[in-house]
Order: sequence, then C-alpha cells, then structure tokens
Amino acid sequence: MNIPDFIYLLPLFFVGFGAISMMIISTFKSVTIKKGAFFTLVFLIMSFFANLYNLNSTDEVYSVYPFIDVFNKMIIVDTYSDYFSTILILGAILTILIGLHYLERHKEFTVEFFSLFLFSVFGMMLLVHANELITAFVSLEITSLSLYVMIGFEKVIDRRVEASYRYLVLGSLAGVFFLLGTAFIYGATGTTTLGTIGDLSLNTFTANIPLLMIGATMVLITFLFKITAFPFQNWALDVYDGAPLPVTAYMAATFKAAIFGFVLRLFIVDFDLVHNFWDELLVYIIILTLSYGSFLAIIQKSLKRMLVASSIVHTGYLLIAFTSISALGESAASSIIFYLVAYFLSAVGAFGLIAYISSDDHLRITYDDFRGFAKIRPYMAAMLSIFMLSLAGIPSTIGFIGKFYIFTGAIESGNTILAVVAIIATFISVYYYFKLIAVMYFYRSAEMTDVPPLKGVAPLVIAVIAIAIVWGGVGNTLVAYFPGVDFLIDMAKLSYESLFVG
Amino acid sequence: MDFGILSVIIFLPMFVAFSMLILPVGAKGTRNAAFITSIVIFALVGYVYYNFEISGYMQFREHYTWIATYGINYSLGIDGFSFIILMLIATLIPSAYLWLWDGRTKGYWVSMLLIQTGITGTLFSQDLILFYFFWEAMLLPVFMIIGMFGTGNRVFSTIKITVYTILGSLFMLISILYLGVAFFHNYGFWSFALNDIVQITSLSRTEEIWLFFGFMIAFAIKIPLFPFHTWLLETYSNSPTGGVFLLSSIMAKLGVYGIVRFVMPIFPELYKEFAPIFVWLGIFGLIYFGIAAMMQVNIKKMFAYSSASHLGFIVTGIFSLNVYGMTGAAYLIIAHAMATGGLFLLVGKMEYSIGIKAIPALGGIAKKAPVFTVFFGIMLLCIVGLPGTNGFVSEFLIILGAFGFTPSAGIISALTVLIAASFMFWMFQRAILSDSGNDVSQMKDLNFKEIAGMIPLAFLIIAMGVYPDWFFYKIEPTIQHYLIDILEIRN
Repeated sequence: MNIPDFIYLLPLFFVGFGAISMMIISTFKSVTIKKGAFFTLVFLIMSFFANLYNLNSTDEVYSVYPFIDVFNKMIIVDTYSDYFSTILILGAILTILIGLHYLERHKEFTVEFFSLFLFSVFGMMLLVHANELITAFVSLEITSLSLYVMIGFEKVIDRRVEASYRYLVLGSLAGVFFLLGTAFIYGATGTTTLGTIGDLSLNTFTANIPLLMIGATMVLITFLFKITAFPFQNWALDVYDGAPLPVTAYMAATFKAAIFGFVLRLFIVDFDLVHNFWDELLVYIIILTLSYGSFLAIIQKSLKRMLVASSIVHTGYLLIAFTSISALGESAASSIIFYLVAYFLSAVGAFGLIAYISSDDHLRITYDDFRGFAKIRPYMAAMLSIFMLSLAGIPSTIGFIGKFYIFTGAIESGNTILAVVAIIATFISVYYYFKLIAVMYFYRSAEMTDVPPLKGVAPLVIAVIAIAIVWGGVGNTLVAYFPGVDFLIDMAKLSYESLFVG
Repeated sequence: MDFGILSVIIFLPMFVAFSMLILPVGAKGTRNAAFITSIVIFALVGYVYYNFEISGYMQFREHYTWIATYGINYSLGIDGFSFIILMLIATLIPSAYLWLWDGRTKGYWVSMLLIQTGITGTLFSQDLILFYFFWEAMLLPVFMIIGMFGTGNRVFSTIKITVYTILGSLFMLISILYLGVAFFHNYGFWSFALNDIVQITSLSRTEEIWLFFGFMIAFAIKIPLFPFHTWLLETYSNSPTGGVFLLSSIMAKLGVYGIVRFVMPIFPELYKEFAPIFVWLGIFGLIYFGIAAMMQVNIKKMFAYSSASHLGFIVTGIFSLNVYGMTGAAYLIIAHAMATGGLFLLVGKMEYSIGIKAIPALGGIAKKAPVFTVFFGIMLLCIVGLPGTNGFVSEFLIILGAFGFTPSAGIISALTVLIAASFMFWMFQRAILSDSGNDVSQMKDLNFKEIAGMIPLAFLIIAMGVYPDWFFYKIEPTIQHYLIDILEIRN
C-alpha cells in the first residue's frame, strides 16, 4: 500500500488542529457564536471527508499502525476505527447544527465552547483509534475534561455547576478504576498494548490470570460508569439533566458510541478469556439496567429526564448484544454498531428538537407543556413523533431494525431470557414515548404561541435525520444501489473483520 | 399480474395519504381522493377476483429481497382465505366512506387511508417479519384516529388499546425471532418466510408450546378473546365511527386470520391438541359477551360486546377442525363484518344526529327514519342469524362444525344463539320501534349517499344467505387444503 501514514491520521489532525485554532479564534471579539459554529463545522467536515477517503481508498478491510516508529502501535487505523470516527463526526456535526439555536440564545455560551467541543471530538476519535490502554485513558480524559466544562458552561445556573462538579468527581473516580485496572493488567501480562494482552493471556505460564481478571473487571467498571449502566444510573440522570440540552444530546448519543467503540475492540481483541466470567455478571447487570431504567423513565414528568432515563434502557439493549459476542462474534458486534447508529440518529433528533423548542425559555419542560403542540407547530410535532417511534422500536423506523438485530442475536446465543426482559422493557417504553405523541396531538391548548418556527438549517437537518430513520427502517427494496439497512450492516461487518487483520 | 397488483393495493392508500399531507388540500379534497382511492382499489380487487384461480394455494406472489443479511423478504401472496377478507375490505371501505362523507377533517381521512394500507399489508404478507411490520404499523393510524377524533376519555382509551396490542405483538415478535433462529440452526441460513419456517423440526415440545402461546396472545388480544378483552369496551365506545367500524369489522378479523395463516401451519400438532381449549373459550366468550351485551344501556357498548361474542363464535369455528366449522367461520367473518360494520355506521349516524347513545333515552326512531330502520333491521337479523341472511348460513355451519368436534359443544353453541336474538330484539324494540315519548326529533333519515353505501352491504347479506354456494366455491379448496395438507385431517 502506498498511502502515506499521515493520510490515515488526517481526520484526527483536522479535528485536533481545529480545536487549537478555535482557541485562538475565540480571542477575537468579532467572532460571534454563529461564525464560531461555522469554523467548527468546516473543521469537522474536512475531517469527515478525510475519513470517507480512508474508508473508500481500498475496497477491502485495512488495518495499519501509522508512524510505527514514533507511536509504537499505540494508535491503530482500521476500517473499524474509521467507521466509528465517521459516526462520531456526524454526531458532532448534527449536534452543532441543531444546537446552534440554543447556543445563540443563551448568552453564557462563548466561542471557547467550540474549542472544547472539538477537543472532546478529538478525544473520542482518539479513543476509537487507541490500541493501548494508556492511550485510551488519556483520550478518555481529554473527552471527559472537555465535557466537564461544557456541562458547566452556563455558570450562572446552579444546576449546571452542580452537574459539572458531580460529573467531575464521579468521573475521576471511575477514571481511577481504569488506571488501576490497567496497572493490574500490566502486572499480569507485562504489556498494555491490545492484541498483545490477548496473546500473552493465553500463555498460562507467564500470565497471572486472576490478576488479569481483576484488572479487566476494573476496566469494566469504568466502562459501565461511562455508558450509565446499572449501578451508576442515578448520577447519569442528574448529570445529564443538569447539562445544557445540546450537551446532553451529545453525551447521550455520541459519547456513548465512542465508549462502545473502544470497549468493543477491547472485548473482541483481548478479553476472550474473561468472557465467561463477565457474561454471567453482565446478565444481571443488564436485567437491572433495563428494569431500573424503565422504572426511572416511567416516573419522570420532565421530558428531558425521561429521554435521559430511557437512554439508560437503550444502554441495556446494547449490553445484551455485548453478551452475545462470545457466542456469535461478527453478527453481535455488527448489531451493536447498527444499534448505536439507530439510537444515535433518534436521540440526536429527539434531544436536538427539544433543545430547539425550549431554547427561548424554559417553559417547555414537562409532558404537560407539550399539550396541543401539534396544532401550533405541526412539522416539529410530526418529526418529534418519528423520533419517539424510532426510540420505541416501532416498525418502519430504524429503531425496529436495530432491536431486531439485538433480540435475534440474544436468542441465537441462547439468552432468550434477556430477550424477554428486553421485550418487556420495550413494551414499557411504548408507554412513555407514546405519551408524548398523545400529549402533542390529542389535547388542545391555547397558550403555546411562543415557540418560534424552525429557522435556518435546523428544519433541514431534522428532516434529513427523520428521513434517515424511516429509510433505515424501510430498507433498500425501493431504490437499488442506494445505501440502506444492508449497507449499514455490511459496513459494520467489514469493520469487525478489520479487527483481525494485521 | 406482472405489475405487482398486490403491492399497488397495499401502497396506493398510503401514497395518497402522504400526498394529501404534503399538498395543500382541504378536508373535502382529501375525502374525495380517499373515496376515489377506495373505488380504484375496488376495481383492482375485481381484477384479482377475475383472475383468481380456485385452488388452495398461494397466488399473485411477489417476492423481493429486503434485508439480505437475515433473509427477510418482501413477499406477498393470497389464497382463498385471505382473498375473501380482501373482497370484504374492498367492498366495505367505499361504503364506509360514503357514510363518513361530511364533517370529517383531513387528519381523519389520512388516518383511514393509512389504516387501509396496514390492513391489506398484514393480509398479504408471507414473511413473518413483514407481517409483524404491517401488524404494528397498522396500530399507529388507529392510535391517531381514536386519540384525535374520539369521544369521552379518548386519550386514555387510545393509550390503553395501543399498549395492550403492543404487549401482544411483542410476545409474537419474540416468537418470530425464536423461530427464525431455530430455522437458522436447522438449515444453516436465515429465513423468516412462512414456507421455510413451517419446515423447522428441531423445536422441543416445551419450546413449541411457548411459541404457540406467544402467537396466540397477540391474536387473542386483537380478536379479542376472553380474557384479553378489557380494552374492548372503552375503545369501541370512545372511538369515532370510522375507527370503530374498521376495528370491529376488519381488524378484529385479522386476529382470526393470523391464527389460520400462521399458527395453524407452524404448529399443526399443537393446534390440534389445544383445539378443545379454544373451542370452549370461544363458546365461553360467546355466552359471556352475550350476557354482558344484554346488560348494556349504551347502544355502542352493547354492539361492542355483541361483536366480541360473535368473534368467539368464529374462533370456535376455526378450531373445530372440520370443514363445516372452518367454512362457517370464514363465512361468518364476512357476514359479521358487514352486519356489525353496518350497525356501527348506523349507530354512528344516530349518535351524530341526536347525540344519544343510551337505549332507554331512545325510541320512536322508526317513525322518524323508516329507511334507517329497514337497514338497521336487516343488519340485526343477520347478526341474530335469521334464515335468508348470511348470518344464518354461517352460524348454522359453525354449529354443525362444533357438533362434529364434540356434540356437547354443538348443543351449547346452538342454544347460545338465543342470547343474541334476545338482546338484539329487545334493544331493537326499545330503541327503534317503540314510541317511548322521548324527543328524537333531531333524527334524520338516510340521505342518498348513505343509502348508496348501505345497499351493497344489505344486498350481500341477503344474496350470500340465499345462494351460499356462489361464495363457497372460492374458499372451499383453501379450507380443504388447510385441513388435509396442513392439519392432516380427513373427514
């Protein structure tokens, strides 16, 4: 292959360079939020195309260690990481496009926000490219630190500051577990490089298996914390609720995808040995995550909190596919990736639209505030309904196909009980998602004239997301050669294969 | 046939509905478009009728790949059983539209069109995932139409029916997925096509029983079969006329259709084994809902229960495992759809013009509206099962079938027909005929459009009652095929 190494790193470079540039740009008074967003988008789009170039440069799967003399296998660029990077960049772009209105209306936001934002994107991209535990830790911290500040950016609002501190304290604690786990793994195998850990752990003479298990479990704890699985769901509710809506959307959809991107790699490449131990533990965690998440979602009056609580339930679904990995491999991994895309689209749409609606004032918080919304803003109500349907997994949306893959995988790997629990959780979710649709369409309310109509690019972006959701659910029988469901899943499979190349 | 007529029948209403949503057309324009659509579909179904071969096998097949990775196909086809329901839909919907002609909003018509797409899609699907897809998708417009245009505590009713139905269908989904995985383990490739799924041999008995009931719950809720009927009363009484018409006359039948189409071929052994349970459950429903209907004061609620009572009878018929019972059930599906659908339309009109639903507050309608009364009487006699109506033919056949199954079932079901007769005539006498002195001066007689809408129903009720053979010969080969090839019963 003749592609120079730096081409592989261009997507990362663009975002990282953009983050630093934004820091400099933000010192100029004349740069408004709008201009800042524009520059940010330019960097993200450049990175996006560089990524697409990498993905398309070869038909087959690829896996390279760029600048191996310098980085020594710390960073890997393969189909898998680039596929995830594409998702992450898209997530960032959509967050900016939909959230811009909110950022403009809230005076506390300054252009520095975009610098932090790009840093967090950089961290996440680095995370999915990481091939070594310390690198992963560093990139995780880059992201987390940016997020701490982004959450508390509106410093005049107490809730924001509180959420920010809470996340800082708990997040650091979780980070410590990761470090300790890494140390244990190093102690057990003498390396922190992915791939090598797996090889060495198979060699029972040199590897200290119990130590490895402990280390791996500690890494798992950090992971569960970051994706808001069972024992850690309560902090998530408060932190996500306290954060500004665009940031909440960003964390719930994009950040989660990045974490899964790394941990999936870790699981598939290295931790064959600890599967049996974890899978059993995970079954209980999943059942608790699903049931407790559903319970949390059902009791919420605030729409934002409901969406956050329901994101815990979606984490549960994703974890189900995780337990199937050891039995199924490829199809389970690709179902996770597919579900991440499906959830990400629906969540970005839902959070983004609600952020838009409540950006002028904070009146529209609870379900009741949305009474009769369809009469006043039929377009927004229709779009919001599509997002709700997709989150609930109703057929003709991408959410259904995502659930189909996950549930089928669970049954195939013999975890029928998990599929049944997940079905019950889905059933409960119908209630809290449909409630919003019911409230919007079935009531009449007079005092709802203050919602601005969608302006600028936001309606277009929302429509594109909605079309993608429906298209993903209906599939590709209608138009040949246009990427549909099969394309996404094939792409996910290719990226899975790339984990075993090289 | 090469232009995919079934797809056109499915998606034309949806296409029209979305075009109407996008175009700046008012309620009237939407209504006209909907009516024309229903007429076009009627014509298309006429074409299908003309070309339909009298055999027990699938025809008009269409097949495209949908999700290749999991062998999910867009696969359509009809046989005699789905064909009669298709005919029913094609006839009923234009009639209903004539009745709903005035005073409905755009959203109402759009919902009606979308429901039609969902119903026909469910009816044609030969792939389990595709079936599930339409089965669930059908629910959304129903949700909207009840929630937006219903009466009373409509929001609660619509959430209740949605949650209830989704609970059932999710159990079915799990069963479908389980079958798909079992097929994969059996044959090494993925498929959810009905023809493939029936060939699974690897399931243990326990697994089969679980899956069987997974399917049955979904269908039992839709029908509704005792004890899954608790959504029925509120939904029927709070739904708008169009919604309750479609729910009672067509969607409830899809539950029965699902049992015959999917449960029977996939679990033939269990179907035979559990048949007694369902025969008796059907008869129990017949009696239970009949008595419940007798107690009702609200006329709409009374019809809701009477409808459920007859659906119990249909279930008895399809589980009777002989040709009489099954043919009778198929016949009763049509007869009941026409009669109950017609009655709900008539009652809807009455409610609309005088705003009363309680039987004691009515009376003397016959004087004010003679034409109304005539049609009301025909529908009612069909429900009661008077000779000369198709209600008689079908009930007679089901009773014969129940006799064939076990004599006691036959005797009890024959006796319970009296229940329907008693509450129906009693209601007819009190609400329509007798001069109770209540003020019903607002009641108007049927206008031209309404008569035009009601005539096909009344005509078919009588024609099918007088010349049943004309209609039997299209379904009989299918029923024979079910009994002999699938259930392996000869009698």
